[in-house]
Order: sequence, then structure tokens, then C-alpha cells
Amino acid sequence: MIAYIFTIVVLLLIAPLLLSFIKSLKMFLLFKRPASLLQGYRNFSKLMHKETIISKEASSITRYAPFLVLSPLLVIMFFLPPVVHGAFYVSFVDAFTITGLIALSTFFLMLLGLDSASAFGGMGSSREAFISALVEPAMVLTVFSVSMMAGDLGVAQAAVNLSEHFPKEHMASFLFAGISFFILLLAENGRIPIDNPETHLELTMVHEAMILDITGVYLAIIETAASVKFVIFASLFVSLFIPFGLQFSVPIAIAIFIVKLFAVAFVVGFLEVNMAKLRLFKVPNLLGIAIVFAFLSLITFYVLGA
Amino acid sequence: MMVDFFIGLFLASLITAIFTTRLFRLLLWYSFNSLTLGILALLIGFKIDDGAMIITGIVTIIIKAVAIPYFLKSFSQKFHFVRQITPNVQTHHAIMLVPAILVFTFYLSQPVTNMMSGNTNYVAVSISSLFLSLMLMMEHKNVAPKIIGFLSIENSLFLLGITATNGMPMLVELGIFFDLLMAIIVINLLFHREGFQGAKDA
Repeated sequence: MIAYIFTIVVLLLIAPLLLSFIKSLKMFLLFKRPASLLQGYRNFSKLMHKETIISKEASSITRYAPFLVLSPLLVIMFFLPPVVHGAFYVSFVDAFTITGLIALSTFFLMLLGLDSASAFGGMGSSREAFISALVEPAMVLTVFSVSMMAGDLGVAQAAVNLSEHFPKEHMASFLFAGISFFILLLAENGRIPIDNPETHLELTMVHEAMILDITGVYLAIIETAASVKFVIFASLFVSLFIPFGLQFSVPIAIAIFIVKLFAVAFVVGFLEVNMAKLRLFKVPNLLGIAIVFAFLSLITFYVLGA
Repeated sequence: MMVDFFIGLFLASLITAIFTTRLFRLLLWYSFNSLTLGILALLIGFKIDDGAMIITGIVTIIIKAVAIPYFLKSFSQKFHFVRQITPNVQTHHAIMLVPAILVFTFYLSQPVTNMMSGNTNYVAVSISSLFLSLMLMMEHKNVAPKIIGFLSIENSLFLLGITATNGMPMLVELGIFFDLLMAIIVINLLFHREGFQGAKDA
């Protein structure tokens, strides 16, 4: 019980840290003076003290939407696979529930973008709808393929099974599912080949365009939601595809889990430095590759059993 | 377990090569493909304790993963090739085509694998990568990616050789390598011609 709640609290606390870790890693690799690792927390407290101004065209949706963006993601946090052995609570949710909750959060984010009636918001929302519609089939296919290997439809139970019995005989399909899920991780979090989280350039914005009009507490909530989303995807990736180190005692297991999260963040940051952003109309190609790999993972598992 | 992992990497790098639109990136994926092939030969060679296969693995890594991509890159720089290679098959068609080829070849190889004992997956993977590299040859108009497709066909036949037969005679494999080097020389002549024509067109 204590470990369960402690893990959720720790994950929430390190969520801004992971994103600022990626940012300072990128700055370090580009020979700039890296930003502080605490920058995420500083931004949060700064935004909490700022005055909140709402556009006069905006309806009441702008007032509700930030909370509705954050809350489905917080619900998912409680259903994430356990990070310690013999966990207090192993959730029952499957791929559809998790994708559905993420889609709910994305839906309110898109409404928020449309609500302020600025040209940027609508553009960002339409792009986000386009990307998330392509992400969902691949996500469901990938998680189902992994569940098939683990022998359980529930994501959390699948992760526990994988850590107890690593699918040595299915390494090939496991690898394909891992590649596919990593592309989805980049796509859903708006990292560089899909969307650049740092620019405010008209041609490249997706996520930033939707939240251009909000300030203060609401912006703080949306940014927290973005970092929580990254933590959710990273910890799903870690517990499904790198399922090691659960058998140690509780503090060590949690420490190993956090190290693995930082390793994922390191890989993401490293890729971002070495890649250019894709043109928007090339994005379906990349997500198509993700779908190909997810499908390939399923058929390799079924036909070859490898 | 590790063999399965590298077979997966082999197929994954070939699929990624099909979707690539840049020449140097394609060479990089080909090099990666050959590297996994060499590591596979080494692993299987150590498993069945076959000295000849270990030597072939090392030669594969040196020639196919390092030398051939390097020479192709320097040739294409020398003759000023077009580095943007757009496939004739559009990506959203390829997204449907590649899984179709994979399913087809996986089922196609089942009668073959029923006759064999052990390592049946590898035969299926190598036949499907043969078809995928045929597609890589088909979908490009330029010479350079076509050559990469040819070399990938060679790679997948090599994979078939090392996994299905527990090691071909060393002489045959070395002969194949010399064939490949001859092919590269012929390709050099082809490049010369295309580079000359490209200069004339420009």
C-alpha cells in the first residue's frame, strides 16, 4: 500500500524533472550552457503566481478544460503497472481503457484550442486530431501483441508476467512491438520528429498552438498534464519492454525504475538532437511504419511463434 | 534467444530501408543489416562450434558492413549522385504492401519448414526478407538503391544459408564474397556511366 502510493507520488514529482532533463541534455549536446534541472518546477511555481486572463471570446469550456485534460491522465497514473514485486494493487485495465483515457484528455485539449477562436488554436487542434487518430490503432495493436506474449489482457498483469517470465522464445516479435511503441511514445508526446516542443513557429507548432492563448494557473495545469503524459508513456515502455529489476526490495526496485525512466528520457533527448522535424504530411509515413511494426509483431507471434 | 533478437533486427532494418528516401541513410541501414547478419553468423558459429562460420561472420562484418557501404558512399560522392531517392511505390501503399508480403511469405514458407527440423523461423524470415529486398529493388528508379536491393537479396540468401544448413562449405561462402567484389567492380562501371549521363543532362 505504502509502496503503491509512494510510487505514484514519486512519479508525479519527477514528471517535470524528466522533461527538463531532456531539455538540458539537448542543450548540453549542442554545446550550450544547460538549463537547470529544476527549471520545470520553477516554471510551475511562476505560473501559479501569475494572474489568469481568459480571452473574452472564450466560453466556459476554457475554464473546465484544463482540469479535464489533466484528470484522465491522473486516473491512468493509478492503473500503471506495478514497479515492485508482490504489489498491493495490480490493475485490470487493458489497452482500450488506456488509449481511451488518453484520447479523452486529447479531446479536451483540442476543445481548449478551438475555444479561444484564434486561428492558431484551430490549426493546432486539427493537427493534433490528425496525429492522435493515427496513433490509436498502432497503440492498441502494440499493447495487444505484448499482452499476447505475456498471456494476459490487462496491461499491469502483463507487465508482472513479463518480469517473472521474460519471453525469450518470442524475442523477434517483442523487438518489433518495442520499436512500434517507441515511435508512438515520440508521437503522442510531441517530441521532435513529429512536433517540436520548443518553437513558436507557425509552421511547426502542434501542441504549443493549442495552448497559445491560456495563461497562469491553467497553463501550469496543461504543462503538468504534458509532463504526466510523458511519464505515463515512459513508464509503460519501461515496464512492458524493459521488465527487469522488480524482484529486489522495494526501495531498490523503485530506484531502478526511476533510473530506467531517465534512460528512456536520455534516448529521447539524444534522438531529438540528431533528427530534424518531419514535415507534417510526412508524419503519416512515420506512424505508418509504427503500424507496420505492430502488425508485424502480431503476425510473427502468430505464424512463426518467434 | 539472442539469435531471435538479431533476426528481428535484421528484418526491422530491411523494412526501415524500404521506407527510406535518402541515399546515405539507406546505406546506413544496409550496413546495419549486414552487421546483424555478421553477428548472427558469429553467434550460430559459436553455438555449433564451426570455425568456418566464425570466419565468414568476421569477413561479413568487415566487407559488407564496413567496406561496401563506404565504397558506395565514396562512389556516389565522386559521381555526384542524386541523394534524394523517392520510391515509386508511395509510402501509404507500401504500408499495406509490406505486411501483405510478410503474411504471404510466412505462409508460403510453411511447406518448406514442415520438412525441416529446428530453426524453422529463420527460413521464413529469410524468404520474406528476400521478397522485401526484391521490393526494394522494384520501387526505385536510380541505380544506387537498386544495387542496395541486390546486395540485400544476397544478404537474405546468406541468412538462409547459415540458418537452414548449419553452415555451407567455407569455399562456397568465400566464392560468394569474391563474386560480390566482382559485382561491386561492375557496379562501379555502371556508376561511371550514370554519372557521365547525369553530367551530360546537367
